[in-house]
Amino acid sequence: MNIDTFSKLQKEGLISDEEMQRVTHTETTRLFSLHWEIKTALYLGVLLLSGGLGTLVYKNIDTIGHQVILLFIALLCIGCYAYCFRHRAPFSREKTESPNAFYDYALLLGSLTFVTFIGYLQYQYAAFGTAYGLAIFIPMVALFATAYYFDHLGILSMAITNLAAWAGIAITPFQVLSQNDFSNHTLIYTGTVLGIGLVAMAELSEKRDFKKHFAFTYRNFGVHIFFIATIAGMCIFDNWYFVWFLLAAGGVYLTWFRAFRDHSFYFVMLAVLYGYVALTILLTRVLFNHLANDFFLAFMYMIVSTISVIFLLVNLSKKIKQP
Amino acid sequence: MIAWPSVTLDNLAIQNEAAKAHRQGCISPETLEAIRTAHPVKLYLPNPITRVGLFILTTIVVCFTTGFLLLLAISGESASLRAMLIIAALLCIGALEFAISQKGSYRSGINEALLWSAVGLLCTGIFFESHHVTENTIAIIVFGLTVLGTLRYADMASSAVAWLSFLFIIFQQAMRIPHGVQALPFLLMALSLAAYLVTTRLEKRPALRHYADCLTLLRILSLITLYMAGNYYVVRETTNSMFMLELQPGQGIPGGWIFWILTVIIPPLYIFLGIRKKDAVLLRTGIILIAMIVFTVRYYHSVMPLETAMVVGGLVLTGGAWALIRYLHTPKNGFTYAASDEPGMADRLKVESLIIAQTFTPGARSTDTNPTNFGGGSGGGGGASGDF
Repeated sequence: MNIDTFSKLQKEGLISDEEMQRVTHTETTRLFSLHWEIKTALYLGVLLLSGGLGTLVYKNIDTIGHQVILLFIALLCIGCYAYCFRHRAPFSREKTESPNAFYDYALLLGSLTFVTFIGYLQYQYAAFGTAYGLAIFIPMVALFATAYYFDHLGILSMAITNLAAWAGIAITPFQVLSQNDFSNHTLIYTGTVLGIGLVAMAELSEKRDFKKHFAFTYRNFGVHIFFIATIAGMCIFDNWYFVWFLLAAGGVYLTWFRAFRDHSFYFVMLAVLYGYVALTILLTRVLFNHLANDFFLAFMYMIVSTISVIFLLVNLSKKIKQP
Repeated sequence: MIAWPSVTLDNLAIQNEAAKAHRQGCISPETLEAIRTAHPVKLYLPNPITRVGLFILTTIVVCFTTGFLLLLAISGESASLRAMLIIAALLCIGALEFAISQKGSYRSGINEALLWSAVGLLCTGIFFESHHVTENTIAIIVFGLTVLGTLRYADMASSAVAWLSFLFIIFQQAMRIPHGVQALPFLLMALSLAAYLVTTRLEKRPALRHYADCLTLLRILSLITLYMAGNYYVVRETTNSMFMLELQPGQGIPGGWIFWILTVIIPPLYIFLGIRKKDAVLLRTGIILIAMIVFTVRYYHSVMPLETAMVVGGLVLTGGAWALIRYLHTPKNGFTYAASDEPGMADRLKVESLIIAQTFTPGARSTDTNPTNFGGGSGGGGGASGDF
């Protein structure tokens, strides 16, 4: 806090002497926080450790022996979980505060090594035979359980990513568009269903008051997956694109109203943007594709419509700011 | 000079300070409200996600408008295309000025998109089909435009580009004078150091308060360029590629030991000074540059295999952090582990969980790339997960 600003405010009579004293006291006794530095170090450490261990194991498979490796990974995993069990707060349906940052990352390392363990088991011994799905399913269940039991949003995201992988979709933020083959029809169906399912999970968490703060993560993944799938459907299906448009429009409608109720501008913006993309694709398919030589019209449409969307978003964000 | 009324920006700063004081329980909600009514801010200040959305949309508009204008001139000479590019740039500036004066748009994503496109379009318009322009001229024009952008709109990215293009101009000039090449790293280091000292002073000047963010960014950048100019890897590879020395792998550069010393010593020095002065900029820049030491050393000397280095690094980082958390259990020497009072946007957006999801790959595809595969056909398609 800037003392000068507050002494000016004090002169203007806006803050009392007592408040000024409190400000000065807080400012002079303020400590330098290393929170950010320590958390980054922990996160990088866990990533390096799990990555390095994985490669180390992979390269030395012939000399160490599989049992030793498995044992080591298992011990590390158990160690991390044991630490978390000892330090965890009692289970609650509400958000629980983690005892310290180290706990969060120990849990993360434990989950990562558990996934490695199962993967290694399947890779080396084909423990689950040809039921490949099972090799993703088991870590997924474990991740969900961990996320709920220890209350960890990061692990919940991992679990959701795993759930999507189990269903055959990559939903890692930067890979959702590049790694999926949207010309595959099943992928679009699965994406739509998965999106609806995740949003339903968000609704359930809020309605049942069970880990309410998980709702954002569920809904975020769900809304994106749903819209990407339906918009892909609009592009891929030549005869049924209107059905997919209706689905997307329904999604926009529901997201819009839900977001207004929650005062969440983020989801309003998603609804507007995805709705705009869907509408533009519909217009392109219905209208512009048949106006062979008049692409000036299409250009004008793009310019005017995008500017209108900008104005719409600006006005909406002002409206939602003052609930 | 700056596009927004000075009083409005001051009021914004007052409101932010008051909100901070309120969060720490120093002032009552009524006082906060009184301050807000006494110092109103008529600006449009969206939150970060909205900024991203508006930035993307504005960029789309600029692209299509430029495309539209170019289509009108497509049959003409290159001069008419150039004229259209410059018209598009002027339109961007006009729209930007309109958005600021009429709508009070401040760091809204619209501003950044319009300013950056304007600078880009102007440069394209000037250099389009001009074959005699030297790199030096380009750098000077970019420098001039970004300096103007910084002064008028206090835009951080513009100030960063201005600093880098300035260094590039110096670089070009130094090549022309005799022995300039040998002196170049030290010249750039001296300039960066001077820039750091000057910006550190200026940052505290009340007269320049609206540019404080730009100055902070310049401080960070000048610390980084100071290090990079003396970094062994940067110096060796630049001299090698610029002056065709054709160094063999393993062959050093003349006077290489100086750069080795600089490479290893500067980041710990930053961290040390950062801790002593309790300066987050120095401290964090130093921490980030530690990674550069590791990279440089590992690039020339294979100290240990990558995976061993990763495990050791991971153990050191995790252990160090754990020890620090224990050490700072009760605050010591003015340092604390407790989070500072600024609630970052990162918390509300759950950015951390998204990063975890991004760095975590649920294997399905990774098994396909394994060269050895003796699981009896378990490789294809959705194989086992997690193979880090």
